[in-house]
Amino acid sequence: MMTDDNVRAETIRNKKERRNLYRIIGSYTFCIGAAIVLFWVLCAIFGRMLVPFDPFADDMLNSLSPPSTEHWFGTDQLGRDVFSRVIAGARDILTIAPLATLISAVVGTALGLVMGYSGGVVDEVTSRIVDAVLALPTVIVALLALTALGTSIVAVLFVIGFTFAPIIARTVRASVLTERGLDYVSAAKLRRESSLYIMFFEILPNIIPPIVVETTVRLGYAIFTVATLSFIGFGIQPPSPDWGLSISTNYGLIGGGYWWTVVFDSLAIASLVIGVNLMADGIQSVLND
Amino acid sequence: MAINYRLLDILRRGRSEHQNHLIDGLARGTVSRREFMRYGSVLGLSAPLLGSVAGAIGYSASVQPARAAMAGGTIRVAQTVPAAAIDPVKIADGGGITVLSQVGEALVLSGKDLTAIPVLAESWSSNKDATVWTFKLRQGVKFHNGKTMTADDVVATFDRLANPDNGSNALSVFSGLLSKGGTRKVDDYTVEFHLEAANGNFPYAVSTDNYNAVILPADYAGDFEKSMIGTGAFKLEKYTPKVGASFIRNPDYWGGPAKADRVEISFYDDYQPQILALQGGQVDIITQLPVLQGVGLLNDPNFEIISLPSSAHQQVHMRTDKDPFKDKRVRRAIALCLDRPKLVQGLMKGRAAIGNDSPFMAAYPSTDASVPQREKNIAEAKQLMEAAGMAGGFKTTLTTEKYLEIPDYAVLIQNAVKEIGGNIELNIMDQGAYYGDAVYGKSPWLDSDMGITDYGHRGVPNVFLQAPLTSTGTWNSAHFSNPEYDALAKGYIASLDLESQRAAAGKIQTLLLDETPLIFSYFYDYLTATKKGTTGVVSTAMSHLFLREASF
Repeated sequence: MMTDDNVRAETIRNKKERRNLYRIIGSYTFCIGAAIVLFWVLCAIFGRMLVPFDPFADDMLNSLSPPSTEHWFGTDQLGRDVFSRVIAGARDILTIAPLATLISAVVGTALGLVMGYSGGVVDEVTSRIVDAVLALPTVIVALLALTALGTSIVAVLFVIGFTFAPIIARTVRASVLTERGLDYVSAAKLRRESSLYIMFFEILPNIIPPIVVETTVRLGYAIFTVATLSFIGFGIQPPSPDWGLSISTNYGLIGGGYWWTVVFDSLAIASLVIGVNLMADGIQSVLND
Repeated sequence: MAINYRLLDILRRGRSEHQNHLIDGLARGTVSRREFMRYGSVLGLSAPLLGSVAGAIGYSASVQPARAAMAGGTIRVAQTVPAAAIDPVKIADGGGITVLSQVGEALVLSGKDLTAIPVLAESWSSNKDATVWTFKLRQGVKFHNGKTMTADDVVATFDRLANPDNGSNALSVFSGLLSKGGTRKVDDYTVEFHLEAANGNFPYAVSTDNYNAVILPADYAGDFEKSMIGTGAFKLEKYTPKVGASFIRNPDYWGGPAKADRVEISFYDDYQPQILALQGGQVDIITQLPVLQGVGLLNDPNFEIISLPSSAHQQVHMRTDKDPFKDKRVRRAIALCLDRPKLVQGLMKGRAAIGNDSPFMAAYPSTDASVPQREKNIAEAKQLMEAAGMAGGFKTTLTTEKYLEIPDYAVLIQNAVKEIGGNIELNIMDQGAYYGDAVYGKSPWLDSDMGITDYGHRGVPNVFLQAPLTSTGTWNSAHFSNPEYDALAKGYIASLDLESQRAAAGKIQTLLLDETPLIFSYFYDYLTATKKGTTGVVSTAMSHLFLREASF
């Protein structure tokens, strides 16, 4: 059912997309962010093989020793090497946060498409529900849900996924509303395409840029939320070297002067979030042109 | 060591059979001086007499130099928020006990060397089979409302505590031991306790160890927080739940008025702000300091740490009725993986004593020291696993509470058993979730395959021997059921003299080492932190804080 018009639209879109891709890659903001994130992704994948010490091996008689040439970031209260743990600690957060973001992107996009395309009562009702969910602080919603569901990693994944979905849904809905009145949608309707086809094969490809931007921004928040939840004690269990968990177990030691047990994990979270946000900024500035 | 037999004979006059038996033990050398002082106090020998007897046998009495200190002023205390309303009958948490100990007193103080020190009781003695204990009360003790304390108040207090209708928390000590009506007035200053089962260590059941056993006026009708009428050295000035409390000196205190004018207590949710408050000079005392959080204060010369050896511990249970721990050889193998001296040194920063997989810590006088200490032995552990047909290792989940050093201890156990192929997953929950409803079937604490549970200090091991280990025990997380053990524990509790207690203890220790339903790696010290120069602070490992002598 390909008409000439459609083919032309496809080619124009492809060209524009390729040009945008080059511009994104050429943006300093994006590159710096991507470098930071890439560093942590590599740590997450290969970190455990490369670190100087086993991040789980305790050495009780050598606990809480300050940074030295042997232990670059010192040791924690069980004598574990903090440097190795920070490097290896990227894995949990970089598994959970992107997966949770992916869930929220998929659910949020589907929801937003339905809301925006259907309009009328469906839109009114779902929009109010989404507004209500958005009015609640994410962490509170997550805590309530986790208390009810139990605190497995899968639960954390879905809870974050579903609490972030409404935010993405709202962005998607707004984009759909502007697309809905355009000619190509009317043309598809005249061709008697099904609503599902129009939503997912006509409109969706045209609203990818805002979804990408929104998803990247959400990823930054998801990292924060995962770290927060593991700090409060939900989800990730000891002895995982997860950053949020490490901060939670060690923050009581700051008063004693053992800053190295907390500072490096905090910096790791900060750098990852900043990296993701720089990427998001880079993408956004290009796509908004 | 010259023994002055003439002096000893004079001192022996008028003593009971058990008391003289103990004196003989000291003279023969079967009982050490420390044990003599400690156990003599339980049998009701007075402190001066204990000193004289020890002196007659050639032990010199130790002299504590008194430190001069300024009187007056306000002592500011930081402590954890009491978990519930302060009600002596129901109280069960350390925070509440600290508050209560400002105004209330027990008959006996379970002192820091595990000695029983007379407080509202002046002396005590038992009949021959330890089923009736007679307590002589101190005269001239006044409640904060001006009334004099007599036997009626004591009888009413214990009847209240032994009555299941009152929701009394003391039933954990009194059920099967003392029931309502078992406490009888002999005269205004003498009370008899008629026990349901013989108990050689009964004075501890009415001591600060049983923190509910605070003597209250006979007409006490609840709502303790409003007036806090007790006999203590301080009187309530103001109590604000969740915030703090203040107390003023009780001028009529039987032991003479306190040195400080006032005590001001502030409640904190966590330990970190308490440490900061002490460092910042906003408080003078932190009631209890966990070693891990307090590690920065331990070596700081601006503060003093009162380190009380205690029987508080974190016991590891293994379900003896379920795989993979059904076979006792597996349980023993796991216990053999732990390097206890390293745990004490590393995890507890040296502020603990090594445990030997039974409640009998070395400091209890009744502990049989000839039972060999279990040490790390991977080769033996591997043999045991092989013999049990589990050379390939095992997989289990260790469930525990997020409290003090426990999460770290769990990680260390997880690492330690890797050497014998053990694969342990951790499930660390908050305390409320871990204890659940505290009944079988509704509590991860009691139902989990493997777990770690914190146990507070007791001056005698009786509670530790019963609730978590006997087949009818209410805290039996290991689901340990062994008729031989039950009989031994009952025998130990009933025995009155130290030698038979020790003989029973030896058998229990050996049996528990063989069966290993529970792992006791260490007994940790109770730490109180004070500003440098603070003197006279008396705390117990049960969270009492007595400040009558405290000053700067």
